[in-house]
Amino acid sequence: MANAALVGLSSQMALQRELDTVANNIANLNTTGYKKDSTVFNEFLSPTAREERFGSADQAVRFVQDRATWHDFSQGPLQKTGGPLDVAIDGDAFLVVQTPRGERYTRNGALQVNAQGQLVTLDGAVVQGDSGPIVLQPLDRNISISADGRVTVTEGGETKTESQRGKIRLVSFAKRQRLQKDESNTFMVPAGVTPLPATNAKLVQGAIEKSNVNGVLEMTRMIEITRTYTYIANLLQQHGDLRRTAIERLAEVPA
Amino acid sequence: MRALHTAATGMMAQELNVQVISNNIANMRTTGYKRQRAEFQDLLYEHVRRIGTQTSDQGNILPVGIDLGSGVKSVGTPRIMTQGTLLPTGRDLDLAIRGEGFFKIQRPDGTYAYTRDGSFEMDSEGRIVTAQGNVVQPGISIPQNASAISINTEGQVSVTIPGNTTPQVLGQLTLTRFINKAGLQPIGDNLLVETPASGAPQDGQANADGMGDLQQSNLEQANVEAVTEISDLIAAQRAYEMNAKVITATDQMLQASANLMR
Repeated sequence: MANAALVGLSSQMALQRELDTVANNIANLNTTGYKKDSTVFNEFLSPTAREERFGSADQAVRFVQDRATWHDFSQGPLQKTGGPLDVAIDGDAFLVVQTPRGERYTRNGALQVNAQGQLVTLDGAVVQGDSGPIVLQPLDRNISISADGRVTVTEGGETKTESQRGKIRLVSFAKRQRLQKDESNTFMVPAGVTPLPATNAKLVQGAIEKSNVNGVLEMTRMIEITRTYTYIANLLQQHGDLRRTAIERLAEVPA
Repeated sequence: MRALHTAATGMMAQELNVQVISNNIANMRTTGYKRQRAEFQDLLYEHVRRIGTQTSDQGNILPVGIDLGSGVKSVGTPRIMTQGTLLPTGRDLDLAIRGEGFFKIQRPDGTYAYTRDGSFEMDSEGRIVTAQGNVVQPGISIPQNASAISINTEGQVSVTIPGNTTPQVLGQLTLTRFINKAGLQPIGDNLLVETPASGAPQDGQANADGMGDLQQSNLEQANVEAVTEISDLIAAQRAYEMNAKVITATDQMLQASANLMR
């Protein structure tokens, strides 16, 4: 008899966690390069009771379990900014950045230059090129970043010469779902997953990739979650009433 | 529930976003103003079920895990240092830079600040100063009897003195570059100061070393585009509202649970 309450509870706990995921998506509605998360549920079969004298086969009790969150890697919309150091990735690829926690991968292409002239992300992680960091010289101007990541500048004073300052490294992964979100818009890889050179992506200079969270979709998911949660709460309440009535009735001792 | 706090971080982030946008709009007509943009990043994740955990003795591993995020943080408001459009004004001491450089200004305490705002004036001693009276480097004084001030694209200031037929060159304005212009710190009055992030200032002259050239009788307009700002403002406001809805929804769920106990 307690099963109904526990099944309801398992569902409510999963729903709470799903709401946490939805809330995180909505909070990151305007985060550059953010990829949304979704929750996957599955049923968890409890071991059935066995008894010879049961008339029919025992029904397995199915609990709800949130099995996983998966990242939706679909392309976010590109927003024109005009900033020469803003790059958006169009296609399946990541930028490689060196953080204090190790090598991380990001889709956030709002880049900056640090005091040493290195190309960095907003929190100062150095963007990796095919051969080390990309370093700009103090007198460089007219920075141009090509679709395949080549950084070209005009250097020098009177004589205008074009020179290349490196090529931004773009990587992709065979099993993207195994990437794990780390903070600051970055992903980390578990052991055994190696980055491959990206083949199917290009960089767009002067634009950033907005978050791929769809506000309307998240709102409807949220309504669905709250409604389901309330139904289950009602169900639990009715179940409780049922038990109380049972206890009251059964406890009535005829005089 | 975590969702409450997550939504609160979202609301705070959007509040900051609106602040930045409103400052851009307020400075739409500020000479030499460069627009800012609020940048956000996601916060820490709690790995409830960690990817790659072994699920059996046969070496099966979890292909995906449960990562619960805890919201958003604002990381910075970088300045977008693109060139603003030039507006002809007809005034002799209005200057616009077409390129990377900044005017170098000496503040009253002797330190230097940098600006793109070239609407200069002359003080009682004939020096070229900013609207606040700070001297534009290297401190060029214009004689009282001089007429027809002309500043060429290289920043050379020349005047005509009565009695002389050839214009007299008084000096050349200093322009300064930084490797990371976005790393300069704004201190108000259209002035920016050097920081460890901006790198050391590199003084030079216009038309050399990529400083850009000077345009006399022009002012550089702010690089704020009204349409972009307004559409960003709408997006920020909607995002704020959605985060508020998440708080309402979480509250409803908590209430449903609380009502269970009678």
